[in-house]
Amino acid sequence: MYEMDGEEIFVIDGHVHLWDARRENITHEGGEQFIQCFYDYHTGFTPEEKQWDMDEYRHYGADRMATDLFGNAAVDMAVFQPTYLTEFYDEGFNTTEQNAELAEEYPERFVLNGSFDPRDGEEGLRYLEHLKEEYDVPGVKLYTAAWRGESKGWRLDSDDAFEFLEKCSDLGIENINAHKGPTIRPLNRDAFDVKDVDDAASSFPELNFIVNHVGLPRLDDFCWIAAQEPNVYGGLAVASAMTTNRPRKFGEIMGELLYWLGEDRVLFGSDYALWNPDWLVDQVMNAELTDEQRDEYGVELDVDTMRKVMGENAARLYDIDIEEKKRQFRDDAVTERFDLVDHYGGDAGAAAD
Amino acid sequence: MSGSRTDAGGTGARDAVPDTADDRDEAAVTARLDRVEDPELARSIVELDYVGTIEIDDDRVRVTFTLPTAWCSPAFAWMMAVDARDEVEDLEWVREARVELHDHMHAEEITTGVNAGDTFGETFPDADGGVAEVRATIADKARVSRQREAIEALLAAGVDPVQIVDLDRGDVSLDGDDAHVALDGLSVVVDREPVADYLGRAEASGHVTTDDDTLFLTPEGEPIPADQLALVQKRSRLADVNMGGQGAVCDALHRARHGPNGPGESGDPTA
Repeated sequence: MYEMDGEEIFVIDGHVHLWDARRENITHEGGEQFIQCFYDYHTGFTPEEKQWDMDEYRHYGADRMATDLFGNAAVDMAVFQPTYLTEFYDEGFNTTEQNAELAEEYPERFVLNGSFDPRDGEEGLRYLEHLKEEYDVPGVKLYTAAWRGESKGWRLDSDDAFEFLEKCSDLGIENINAHKGPTIRPLNRDAFDVKDVDDAASSFPELNFIVNHVGLPRLDDFCWIAAQEPNVYGGLAVASAMTTNRPRKFGEIMGELLYWLGEDRVLFGSDYALWNPDWLVDQVMNAELTDEQRDEYGVELDVDTMRKVMGENAARLYDIDIEEKKRQFRDDAVTERFDLVDHYGGDAGAAAD
Repeated sequence: MSGSRTDAGGTGARDAVPDTADDRDEAAVTARLDRVEDPELARSIVELDYVGTIEIDDDRVRVTFTLPTAWCSPAFAWMMAVDARDEVEDLEWVREARVELHDHMHAEEITTGVNAGDTFGETFPDADGGVAEVRATIADKARVSRQREAIEALLAAGVDPVQIVDLDRGDVSLDGDDAHVALDGLSVVVDREPVADYLGRAEASGHVTTDDDTLFLTPEGEPIPADQLALVQKRSRLADVNMGGQGAVCDALHRARHGPNGPGESGDPTA
């Protein structure tokens, strides 16, 4: 938990990965380019003294991940967002199964999402059912730019995708996380397009659509769609890392998001291990709007707003009872491992200073 | 420079050919390249430090450039390469310009295709949607993002929203440092820059090309109902923030790949 102006803020990191980009797992040059590109994002927005070397970045493992997230109590809970990329990586880059290694070790601390790819057809539908049965996934992370054979991507508003969304609805998989970021296709209209979210969101009002990276570089299209579709949310991964060296830009983007979507539909995410919540949470919590931005947008990054963005909004989507969790965390396995008893007030009120 | 906005140099605002154009040197080539924009950011590729080396061999010029990520959209990379080639070849003393894209997942195809004079479709047969379509979308976003300041200037000069949405292209004329706006027999004078900037972008987008065309439009390209002007202004602000936000991302990635001095200064950019 984070303390801001004397008040506790329960932090749910809405976007984390446990990936494997070791050379022996890479089967296509796209896999190497992918992790190199990630690494540029990492160094581009990480303070120099916090940067990892390439080897640890390729594969950090469950143990280190637990330490990074919970070691200094930067994060109370985290949401796994798988990225399969099986065309590039032998065992996949960051699959539900890979994520489960840590999620099942500390089930009270993690939300484990699944994934689907409509190009998998009937087999894909069976796999989605399997993920629900095996892991009780409350959501999916979708990567519409993923390659599959000749295909270089798919759309969320296609008939095939609708069949899978229908299946999600039937299974009670309510949270549809869509990656909308740089595209890799020799391109084409995808480069700007978050518009497929529009149709999907209005066709499935019972589902929540969380657009990761708030649609950058299509923030404008994203906000305009979200302003009209109440079940569309913005995930701050990438945007939150701008606090490192582009705090003014971060302020502008937050101003726009709070103006168009409001404080109930914006979710913090570190994108770990792209960036480490170990330092990023503190940085985002300390971010401020300039006076000019406050006047322009008429919003504030105050305690009430940050409490929602950093945790409460994700808690609502994933049915997390924060007060119940706080009690549970007084003596769960993570608290014991990292000696967080005082932090969670196990010793009645010790953390309330 | 990071994250800063270019003031001049936009497609619409650059009509003057620099005086150095006749010199057979790097400066003349750079001045030409400065007119090429990263379409996603609407900023010059020179300002963005994408240009690596420039080699001049009599009437032949070779230019290398590198983008912030190997994954930058091939269509954008293509546009910049073609524009760079055309701009340099427009110099009178240049017979042939060769443009090389480095460190991109499609570097080879793009370099080969552009220098052979092929089309994007020939180079990437599986791409759906052509470069023209992407250019049109980009140009339209630039139009929307620049409209706000022009309207702000008129509002600040006391022009009523109802009058603003009624203006046609023909009601505006540029004169020196001023822009004159005709309103029922009256003329309001505002700064030239925001108006000229907007007009250039609007025209490049294919909107607002004749005197009878409505001057200001919604992002969808329709006339603006007066009671929607404030909302359209917010959408214009949003379009501008989007471009700047993407600029910040590209700039950080570019520095991560090449260090603060750009590709020309680094040792091995693929490291």
